[in-house]
Amino acid sequence: MATLTTGADRAAEAPPGQGPRGRARRAAVGRFNWLGGLAGWVWLVIVVVPLYWIVITSLKARASYYAQNPLAPPSDPTLENYRSVIESDFARYFFNSVVVTAGAVVPAVLVSFMAAYAIIRGAAGSRFLRWANVLFLMGLAIPLQATIIPVYLIIIRLRLYDTLLAIILPSIAFAVPLSVLVLANFVRDVPKELFESMRMDGATEWRTLWHLAFPLTRPALVTVSIYNGLSIWNGFLLPLILTQSPEQRTLPLALWTFQGEYGVNVPAVLASVVLATLPILVLYALGRRQLLSGLTLGFGK
Amino acid sequence: MAHSAMSRRSFLNLAAGTGAGVALAACGSSGPGQGGGGGEATYWYLTGAPGEQIRTNTVNRFNKANSDSQIKPTAFENDAYKTKIRTAIGAGQAPTIIWGWGGGGLKSWVDAGQVDDLTDWFAQNAAVKDRLFPSSFGAATVNGKIYAMPCETVEPIVLFYDKRAFDKIKAVPPQSWGEIMALVPKFNAAGIAPFSLAGQSRWTNMMWLEFLFDRIGGPEVFQAVFDGEKGAWSNPAALDALTKVQDLIKANGFVKGFSSVVADANADQALLYTGKAAMMLHGTWTYGSMAEEGGDFVSGGNLGFMNFPPVEGGKGDPSNTVGNPGQYLAISSKATAEQKETAKKFFSTAVLDDTEITEWLDTGGVPIVKGSESKISSSKAPEFLTFVNETASKAKVFAQSWDQALSPTAAEKLLDNIAKLFQLSITPQQYADNMNQVIGQ
Amino acid sequence: MTGLAPPAVRVRPAAGSAGGRSGSLGWMALPALAIFVAFGVVPLVGVLVLSFTRWDGIGAIHPAGLDSWRTVLADPALPHALWVTFLVMALSWAFQTPMSLLMGVFLAGHQRYREILAVIYVVPLLLSSAALAITYKALLDPNFGLGVGLGFSFLVQDWLGRGTLALGVVVFVVSWQFIPFHALIYQGGVRQIPVTLYEAAQIDGAGRVRQFFSITLPQLKYTIITSSTLMVVGSLTFFDLIFVLTEGGPGDATRVLALDMYKRGFQANLMGPASAIAVILVLVGLALALLLRRLGGRDASASQQEGM
Repeated sequence: MATLTTGADRAAEAPPGQGPRGRARRAAVGRFNWLGGLAGWVWLVIVVVPLYWIVITSLKARASYYAQNPLAPPSDPTLENYRSVIESDFARYFFNSVVVTAGAVVPAVLVSFMAAYAIIRGAAGSRFLRWANVLFLMGLAIPLQATIIPVYLIIIRLRLYDTLLAIILPSIAFAVPLSVLVLANFVRDVPKELFESMRMDGATEWRTLWHLAFPLTRPALVTVSIYNGLSIWNGFLLPLILTQSPEQRTLPLALWTFQGEYGVNVPAVLASVVLATLPILVLYALGRRQLLSGLTLGFGK
Repeated sequence: MAHSAMSRRSFLNLAAGTGAGVALAACGSSGPGQGGGGGEATYWYLTGAPGEQIRTNTVNRFNKANSDSQIKPTAFENDAYKTKIRTAIGAGQAPTIIWGWGGGGLKSWVDAGQVDDLTDWFAQNAAVKDRLFPSSFGAATVNGKIYAMPCETVEPIVLFYDKRAFDKIKAVPPQSWGEIMALVPKFNAAGIAPFSLAGQSRWTNMMWLEFLFDRIGGPEVFQAVFDGEKGAWSNPAALDALTKVQDLIKANGFVKGFSSVVADANADQALLYTGKAAMMLHGTWTYGSMAEEGGDFVSGGNLGFMNFPPVEGGKGDPSNTVGNPGQYLAISSKATAEQKETAKKFFSTAVLDDTEITEWLDTGGVPIVKGSESKISSSKAPEFLTFVNETASKAKVFAQSWDQALSPTAAEKLLDNIAKLFQLSITPQQYADNMNQVIGQ
Repeated sequence: MTGLAPPAVRVRPAAGSAGGRSGSLGWMALPALAIFVAFGVVPLVGVLVLSFTRWDGIGAIHPAGLDSWRTVLADPALPHALWVTFLVMALSWAFQTPMSLLMGVFLAGHQRYREILAVIYVVPLLLSSAALAITYKALLDPNFGLGVGLGFSFLVQDWLGRGTLALGVVVFVVSWQFIPFHALIYQGGVRQIPVTLYEAAQIDGAGRVRQFFSITLPQLKYTIITSSTLMVVGSLTFFDLIFVLTEGGPGDATRVLALDMYKRGFQANLMGPASAIAVILVLVGLALALLLRRLGGRDASASQQEGM
């Protein structure tokens, strides 16, 4: 709490490339922001206590869950809960979630990138592209659930009901508008001179797309992928309505089912929560910087 | 038990009204499910101990005995089950064998032409039919035709109580509504919730109304609702019952936070066997899971049980009961001939075979097979099973649970308003008004 | 994270940049357009069409004229669902905005420990709504939950059993998950405020609080609108969380529009009225987005001094 710093002694550590903006806060940090600090630390407790509780409870035997203080560490930690969750076909649900997420994110980001490129480079001269852009923008305001009944009907008619593809296709469609918007913002930032020189070299638009715009917007592509990946990985409504059998179940749905099956066995239910979240936590640990800056970058623009 | 079929049958003999829409068949898929290469039949049923294991065992025995016709089982949890089945049927991907509660749900599948008429099959296989309780066929019958094979157990709803709790406050189990209300403050003073209730599941609340309606006004009150009589919910007996249940809620008769307790998780049972609540109105199927999960609660002889007591001045016969007269297996009309054949073979050779009967008895269920008395007396829980058997067979009227008897649309509205009633967010009069609007739907 | 709505940013066609060959670019937008039309636009039209039909989900679909609309509009459940939706929206906005603003300002500091805090804050964002709801359900259980164990009687409430409390829990869980996200947006916004403004204010002797209200807040206007848009439009999509946490209960205390649609359609088998609710949901979403865009559009440039 006592970390009172002055602009002077921190300035030396300013990361390169921060420029004038990096110094912006320095001047203002002269006095400690008590209110913000208080909120920050209180929030830490609010965030950490439930997380801590999830982890320790998942390690408790069922009997001691009722007997022990909920915040006390387990008296005799057990992995029994994890074992029983894993034995309930956890690997399959995990695999399904991976298939759905990868199967939706990769095509969604690629087609959105192409559309974003086309809109930025061609909208001025093409009524079709301007019209497409308006359509995507409108798509941003539509809550996904609202169209679930017709989507269900379409999926049935396509005979895709109870397949992973039934989740993938609508997921792509609903990822497109936001992805196009964010990617378009980044494609616009590519200096026009670079496009011009590609054109002078006789490169086609297709070549320019992949050899110029793609590498230059890579951070944005990663951001959009993470964002879409997170919401598809955690998606609940589409699997709930468009799939049926345990063979096609994704993790969030499996969690919900575990809850019904394990009943009052709270430790087992929480073990399933931990297991379902673990892969994302690992990815987060690996790509933390990318995610944190990505989350803000996409929206801060 | 035979005479108890009356009320259910009259529930169900209601004219169908709406014409059957079979049109989806035109655009439906070629066959059910994926996987089932060729003749493999599929079978969906409920999760939850102990029934899930028994159902699975029966399928396994069948598969072992019939290498040429196999059944692939899948289990779903209760609250989601009806919706799951329905979306699957709508998608033309129903399983070959559909487990259900009969009644209004079965009727909606029949109306859509999604399940097969089994009347002729039962006529040809009289032995299959004759060994089962005749009363169990009521909820399997739509417009005079049998659309499902009754199976499993008869499950009246009964009043369970914890003998330890009564010892603690030195009281005896209530013999009337007045005694119930008198017990409430005593239990609360002792720090024990009088009644456990899984209010979030809604149908659990409904059980209270089912008994109060019956005890106060007799079975005619709900029959009038079922028959679609205008203003049936405004019957003075109905309003009295609705008021009484709210009185009990206001007196803190139910466990704190009952509205957020979920029955699927068996949390309501846990409240009883952990000693946090003294009594629980619930289906007899909970006996098995309380015995399994409740430590020595059941084996130590702490669990008491009785029929719902009469209400002072009420018209209903105290022997009447409510619940599930059986469970039901229907055959999807979209299944292949081979799958249907497998299903019928399953019905006639595996369903309620001797092993399954014993398994049900061991977990506290009374199978719907005639002449189980000798097996009951030699089972693990003769006292409880005899009680269930007698409650079911001696009941003047054994009514089917409201939400199962009504159409899914009406049931949803019913459960919705019951939840609000138990929240005290609507008055008995408002409840009656809301429900009168949708009567006969 | 499901269905967070995006900020209202306009795509300005880059005039003239594509020269005369722009027409040839149209095909590049086709794949995205095709799938969006197939699973976005077509269902949108479909939901409108279905709202004029009678369908029980398993039988045939019959045209039914205005029946569904009459049922839905006459049903007091509709204004109730709209009201609950509005409450969830307004309360979660009112709780999240000051908190994330405060924390955003705090996190904007470059101290190492604050960066570590930010890393921890984000963890709830990674959990699925289903996981969150399941966790909080167990945590708040009045008989076996956290409150009982801690012996804090104020934590032993019928959290999900009383209408107002359940609504509060929904708002809290939403905030628990999303405040860090919005705090990060504000962090980004604060770091973009030109340092000269603060230097000038300090020379003028303006206090910390005054600096916040006369510099930070006005400068963040555009960020506030972005973040608010995300919160408000995003709150229409809290289906999974509420579905698993309360199923709309107790009674119908937390039955938002999206849940009302699901219950009517997939539980009561009334696809027609459910579609009518869906149309209303779409209209509410569009209206809100337009409103916020208008709010945001006007002053966007004013607070974007540093370009970017």
